[in-house]
Formats: sequence, C-alpha cells, structure tokens
Amino acid sequence: MSATRELMFDHGQPSYSEVNNDVINALTTTTWRYWVTLVISAGTALLFFVAPWIYQIIVGVGAAGMNRNAMWGTYLSNFIFWIGLSHSGTLLSAVLHITQSDWRKSIYRSAEAMTLFSLMTAAMFVMVHVGRVWFVHWTFPFPNPMELWPNFRSPLMFDVMAILTYLTASSVFIYMGSLPDFAAVRDRSTGLRRRIYAVMCFGWRGTAHEWHTLGWAYTFFAVLVIPLAVSVHSIVSWDFAMSTVPGLHHTIFAPYFVCGAIYSGTAGIVTVMWMLRKFMGFGRYIGQLHIDNLSKLLLVLSLIWTYINICENFSGWYSGTSFEYEAILYRVWEGPFWWLYWEMILFCAVVPLVLFSRRIRTNWNVMLVISILINIGMLTERFVIVASSLPRKFLPDVFGTYFPSLVEISITVGSFAIFTTLFLLFVKIFPAVSIYEVKETLNPLRKREAHT
Amino acid sequence: MTLLASFAHEDAALDAARALREKGVAGVDLYSPIPLHGAEEALGLGKSLVRVFTLLGGILGAIGGFTLCVWTATRFILPTAGRPVITLPPYLLITYESTILLGTLMTLLGFFVVARLPAWRDRTYRASSNVDRFVISVAGPGAAEAEDILRAAGAESIERESAS
Repeated sequence: MSATRELMFDHGQPSYSEVNNDVINALTTTTWRYWVTLVISAGTALLFFVAPWIYQIIVGVGAAGMNRNAMWGTYLSNFIFWIGLSHSGTLLSAVLHITQSDWRKSIYRSAEAMTLFSLMTAAMFVMVHVGRVWFVHWTFPFPNPMELWPNFRSPLMFDVMAILTYLTASSVFIYMGSLPDFAAVRDRSTGLRRRIYAVMCFGWRGTAHEWHTLGWAYTFFAVLVIPLAVSVHSIVSWDFAMSTVPGLHHTIFAPYFVCGAIYSGTAGIVTVMWMLRKFMGFGRYIGQLHIDNLSKLLLVLSLIWTYINICENFSGWYSGTSFEYEAILYRVWEGPFWWLYWEMILFCAVVPLVLFSRRIRTNWNVMLVISILINIGMLTERFVIVASSLPRKFLPDVFGTYFPSLVEISITVGSFAIFTTLFLLFVKIFPAVSIYEVKETLNPLRKREAHT
Repeated sequence: MTLLASFAHEDAALDAARALREKGVAGVDLYSPIPLHGAEEALGLGKSLVRVFTLLGGILGAIGGFTLCVWTATRFILPTAGRPVITLPPYLLITYESTILLGTLMTLLGFFVVARLPAWRDRTYRASSNVDRFVISVAGPGAAEAEDILRAAGAESIERESAS
C-alpha cells in the first residue's frame, strides 16, 4: 500500500494544506495567457462553428452537401468521434472507483470533464446535422396536439435516450464528486466567488454523515454509469449496423465501437493530462505512474482494436457475398479514401506498438504525440466508416462519392474550438484535480503507526 | 452551547468519537477533510438509506420506460412489415436506458434527502476541517461532560460556540 503511495507522486508527497493551496490557486489565479487563449478559442468557435451553422440554416442543408446520394458524412463521423472521446473519462473513472484504484484520484475529475464536454460537442453535431434544428424537440416523447409519438423501434430514438441519459448521469457524477471541493473553494475565497461556491456546494460541511451518504450515492452513480457508457456507443454503432448497408451491417460493430471509443477517449485523457501538467502546473499530482498506466491501457486497447479490424475484414471476405467483399475492397483499396484507411491503420494499430517500451510509456512528450496521432487515426476511422459505405449501397444508381463541403470542414474545425472553450471554462470553475481524493492517497494523518 | 474540538490526527479524532459514543453522549458530529474509514462505526452509522432510493428509481425507470414504449406504440397502431406492434428487443433497450436514468436521478434525490442538503444557512462549521483538521462537535447538554473526554483524546484546541 505505502509503496504505491510513494509511486503516486514524482516529487514527494504534498501535505494536506498544500493540496488545497495548489489546486485552489490553479483555479483562482488567472494569467493573461489564459484570457488570450480563451478569447482565441471562443472566437474560433464562433467563426468556424456558429457562423457556418447559421449560414447552413439560412440556405439549407445543401450547403453541407446533403443534396447527393451520400447524405451522411462528416457530421455523423464527427458525432461518433466526439461521443467516442467521451467514453473513457466517466467509464474509466467509474471502473477504477469500483476497483478502488488509487491512481484514478488525481486524474479523474478532468477526465470526466472531458467526457461531459465531448458529449456536449457531439450533441451539437446532431443539431447541426438534422437541418431543421428548431424541430429537434420532436425526438422527445411529449404529449403534443398532433398526437404523434416517436418511433421507439428506431436506433435514432435509442440514441436520443442513451445520450440524454449519459449526459445526465455523467453531469451528476462529476458534480457530486466535486461537492466537497466546492466547499473547499468556498472556504478559501471571499466576496462574490464565496457566495457562488456556497450555493454550488449546497452547504457541504464534511460531517461523517455527509461523507457516508456521499460515499453510498457515489458508488451507486459509478455502478449505474458503467453499463450506461457501454450501452451508449453500442447504440451509436447500431445507427449504422442496423441498416443493411454493406460495410456497416456487422454484428461486431457494437464491441468495435465501444473499444474504439475507449481507445480514443484514453488517448484524449493523455492529451488533456499533458495540458494540465504543462499549463496548470499539476505536474506534482499527475506523474509517471499515471502516464504509465494510461499507456498500458492504450496498448491493450490498440491490440483489441486491431484484432476487431482484422475480424471485420476477414468476415467480410469470408462471407463470400459480393456486396460485403466489394464494400471492403472499396474501403481499403479502390475507393477515394483508401489512403485514409491506411493512415488510420498506421496511427491506431502500428504506432501504438511502440508502447511496449517502458521508456516511451513514461515519456510525457512522446505520449502527447502518440495520443494525438491515435485521435487523428480515430477521427479518420469514423470518417472512413461513414464515407466509404453509404455512398456504395447495392445498386449503381444510388452510388455517389462523398467529399466534405467547406461548411462541414469548417464546422469540424470549430467543434475542436468549442471543446477547448468548454474545457478552459471548466478549469476555472471546477477544481481540476480532486482535492479530497488526492488527500486520501497521501499518508494518513495518524498518531499511531499504520498497521496495514 | 456547542463544543468544538480540533484534532490533527484522524485516529485521535476517531478515538474521541468512539469514547463519546461509549459514554452515551448525544449530538456528536465529526467533520473531516476526507471520508474516514471507521467513522461509520465510531458514530454508529449503518447502511445508508440512499440505496432504497436507487432501487426505487431503478424499478420506476424500468416500468416507466417500458410502459412509455408500449403506450405510445398502441396510441396509433402502425403495422410495419407484419412485425409485432410491441417489439421487445428495441423496447427493452429503451427500458435499459430509462432504468439507469431514473436510478441516477433518484439516487441524487436520495443523497439530498438523506444528507439533508442543500442547507444554505449558517451552521456549525470550521473551515480548517476541510483542509487538514478533524473537528468533533458536541451540541446540547452533553457538551459539559464531553470536554474532558475530548481533551484526554488529544484535542489540539477546544472552542465553545453559543447557540445562535
């Protein structure tokens, strides 16, 4: 037990009050660089996401190329990408909470924030894709004068339910886990900030009764969120797999998507942790142990992902049906996006093999590069899935070629800005490292020697 | 009157809480910066009632989700390709999601009810107990006899707070 406690911190253990100081100072002290970054990313989001969206609303979805045979394109592939990115944070946090892994405690808050914000970005893509966004409430079951109800047999309705539930559950999960830390911020601040945090922490005092209740509730949240996270990307995969389109109609799609989602999400966590170390000064709390564990997870997931890819292509070939076989051939060689397919194999299956080396696993800068490469690969994976299947349905008269329009490319760029903006706001509202849980990983304040 | 004793060590605070419980002193509360293992037993907290809320939420969600699907599908029957109107596999998926949704929301409600939050009023509290101190408060008539026990357990400082 104490051995892992020492491993958790590269530069020695902080004291209890140092944890409070470090985390809350990172929250309250804001440099001009932060404001410049915030303005740039919010400006990019406005210019590249909101402006083209307004243009698309005015002129119609033809601006996004939805007037050809290939209707589903970048919006859908980005939607899968962002949902996928959201998978690791809450899932990893919940699984590691249930298994009582202590190394989770300094990274989970930001990982969950990543979940929440990428989920919000994904939801934005639904809004952008549907065209007449002012009717988006029609997807909800509510009594209306038209006496119409949504068709619950549609995978798109599963999606609505799954994403709504996931958004609710992961917001609750991150917020309730932060309650004691909001109280810590309240105690340290004055004026308006104090009043805001006093409301946000619901008057938390940290009595034994409150801790006891929070512990029970938190464990239930974790237990509920694990099957949920697995179901969400399975359901997203069924949006595709339940159509009979060759190249999409695979039973392996649900595990393929879930594995890919956790994979890209874990890579995203590595990227975010690098940022937190570099720009928020959390190098003291996020160290060698964390990057080593995350990299091992990445390695395992990359191997599973490679295996599923081989299975997918093999079963397509082995099925002997010409549709399946042609779809695969179109994807990997004959179609216009063959190079994207091989780029994805290179970044997601070949590059991660270097993680067998411990020296690379524990090198933050190399891991930053690898994690970004993996996510580029995963972004293109989703694009390849969508753009090489739907334009090639059974008959040649429905064939088309898909290429993203300027509006779609711009909104894709803008979505990264939206995510960055939300995350930048997060680090100034939530304590980005869990104060009380980091304290739990320190040597306990005991008079007597610990008898473990 | 409320007595507030501050401890620097968690085991000392737990010992004090246990001693107070043995003496039968009422109105004892323990404030700590981290959840303390052993506080449940020292203060006599059993299984939390939150679990009842979670169970109820799950059951409600399961029944509600399934009923929603069946009820909406039978409002206007639209036969598609000879498939049954009440199709189990997709409806069970919706049921699965609504079970988790209601389970989560009811757990949240359960937390607020059981922990008696939100409480945005002034209550006995020392900010140091959210940093690195363990504070025991004794409210009411027990305060007088508690002082000796707390001091014996190794309290750093003992304060009195008159009831407001």
